[in-house]
Amino acid sequence: MKVRFWGVRGSIPVPGRATNRYGGNTSCVEVRPRAADPIIIDAGTGIRHLGKALMEGTFGDGRGKASILISHTHWDHVQGLPFFSPLYRAGNQVHIFARQRDMHLEAVFSQQHDAAYFPVPLSAMHADMHFHELVEGARFHIGKAHVTCARLNHPWVAIAYRVDVDGASVVYCSDTAPFTDMLLGRDFIERPSFGTLPPPVQSELAAMRAGVVALAKNADLLIYDTQFTPEEYQARPHWGHSRPDDAIEIAREAKVKQLCLFHHAPMRSDDDNDKILAAARELVSADKFTLVSAYEGLEIPLGDQ
Amino acid sequence: MRIKFWGVRGSIPAPGPETNRYGGNTSCVSVHTAAGNLIIIDMGTGLMHLGNALLRTEFGKGAGRATILLSHTHWDHIQGLGFFPPVFIGGNQFTVWGPGSSPDVLEQILEGQMDPNFSPLQTLKNLSAKVDVRAALPAFEAEGVRITTREHAHGHTRALSFRVEEAGRSFVYASDVGYPESGPEPAAIAHYANADVLLHDSTYKPEDQATRRNRGFSSYEEACAAAIAAKAKRLVPFHYDQDYSDDAVDGIVAACTALLAPHGIAVTPAREGDELEI
Repeated sequence: MKVRFWGVRGSIPVPGRATNRYGGNTSCVEVRPRAADPIIIDAGTGIRHLGKALMEGTFGDGRGKASILISHTHWDHVQGLPFFSPLYRAGNQVHIFARQRDMHLEAVFSQQHDAAYFPVPLSAMHADMHFHELVEGARFHIGKAHVTCARLNHPWVAIAYRVDVDGASVVYCSDTAPFTDMLLGRDFIERPSFGTLPPPVQSELAAMRAGVVALAKNADLLIYDTQFTPEEYQARPHWGHSRPDDAIEIAREAKVKQLCLFHHAPMRSDDDNDKILAAARELVSADKFTLVSAYEGLEIPLGDQ
Repeated sequence: MRIKFWGVRGSIPAPGPETNRYGGNTSCVSVHTAAGNLIIIDMGTGLMHLGNALLRTEFGKGAGRATILLSHTHWDHIQGLGFFPPVFIGGNQFTVWGPGSSPDVLEQILEGQMDPNFSPLQTLKNLSAKVDVRAALPAFEAEGVRITTREHAHGHTRALSFRVEEAGRSFVYASDVGYPESGPEPAAIAHYANADVLLHDSTYKPEDQATRRNRGFSSYEEACAAAIAAKAKRLVPFHYDQDYSDDAVDGIVAACTALLAPHGIAVTPAREGDELEI
């Protein structure tokens, strides 16, 4: 399989010279098993460009089939969907997977196409769209690929995915806070807190962390939310994002082969990202895994080609 | 009046080297009045960058006040609100004047983008600043200047254009405008009449608009026709299609200049970071 990055940014797209090298589009990663349909993880603004590329192939004739795994429905992970060209071509099949919510997923996605916000309703998309609601611990197949997932520590809850196919495995773990200071879920949390946690909260966080480590076990590639520097995390532990150190700890425990820093902060320039990557590489110089930082256009081949 | 462009792109932000010169952020323009007050028009992603700049002013201390004029509520015109740093500082005050006859409906639409499924803010109530939402009137005073609004067609929906007048000078903001095939209506021309600066939707080249007329955007030719009919002094092409590179926008600007030079109308393209004094 091949893993290709179409959007690597968190929160909001950031055009401009300062982001030309890493890219300013929000989260979107393509997992392309050998000789099979694409599995897309998240539908940030990067998916617009992926869609254009797909239209050059079978999707342009209305014969394409894609699956989109959504980590969570915050804007930076779904904003590109209305601009995904294959949806406008009859005959294409698009399967959207996301965690079950209080309302049906189709209703959640319809809301971003509401007439107040977007000119074309979701119901007017020509492609055949299917919504699949996931519960925690779901395991399923997309063609020959096996998909598993785990809960993350993020406001309103996000999930991580693992895709096993072609004798290799990729794990997408964004967005999440570390599992130490705050448990993030349904409640709106206005300010940081670093006190001792009640035992039930501690055990819930420990279980969540164990789930992530298990999901990433021996993965060939672990893509991890590293939006924050340590200073930024101290100020905003309630925003639900991690530091490179958190990603490195998980990578070590799970014994992954490669770690990829992902979901770069919007105001982070290319030079800032270079420095973060260099510092993180110092930290893992004695480790067995390699470390990269995601940029638009990065392609990583894994397993059978 | 001093106009500054923070986001000039239509539909969706377009990052990448090919948009470096004109910019890839969605619609946001600031107007500093001669008296020193602030009017912000539209809240696309450019608003985040305006907000970062405002932190160095009284907005950084929670003592800022601005009027926000909202043309309509499509994503590319509201996405910046949740990323506008001054709304997270208590004491700052914003009055949003937008489309529709009901401020409650408009507030619900803005509330919808903060829905917990989509935003960690969960609700507008979690903003620290005071945000007062109102239905724009045909004419009203704000920040010591006179503002007139016109409702126009934008595809299947409606949007507002705004005319801001101060001390005999006028600035018109007309984005996301879909004219009938016969061209700009008399009511539109009357709203733009003799403007010192007419900022106008120039989303498409005519050949691209021909196949997408139902989307409710103008071609640069329609923008020029409006400027000529309204006897505007200067046209600012705006809201470029997300797929147009800087070189393509250069072509739009050159074409506008050629069309308007015989009429003595100047052309200043909207470009992120540029300023225009009226």
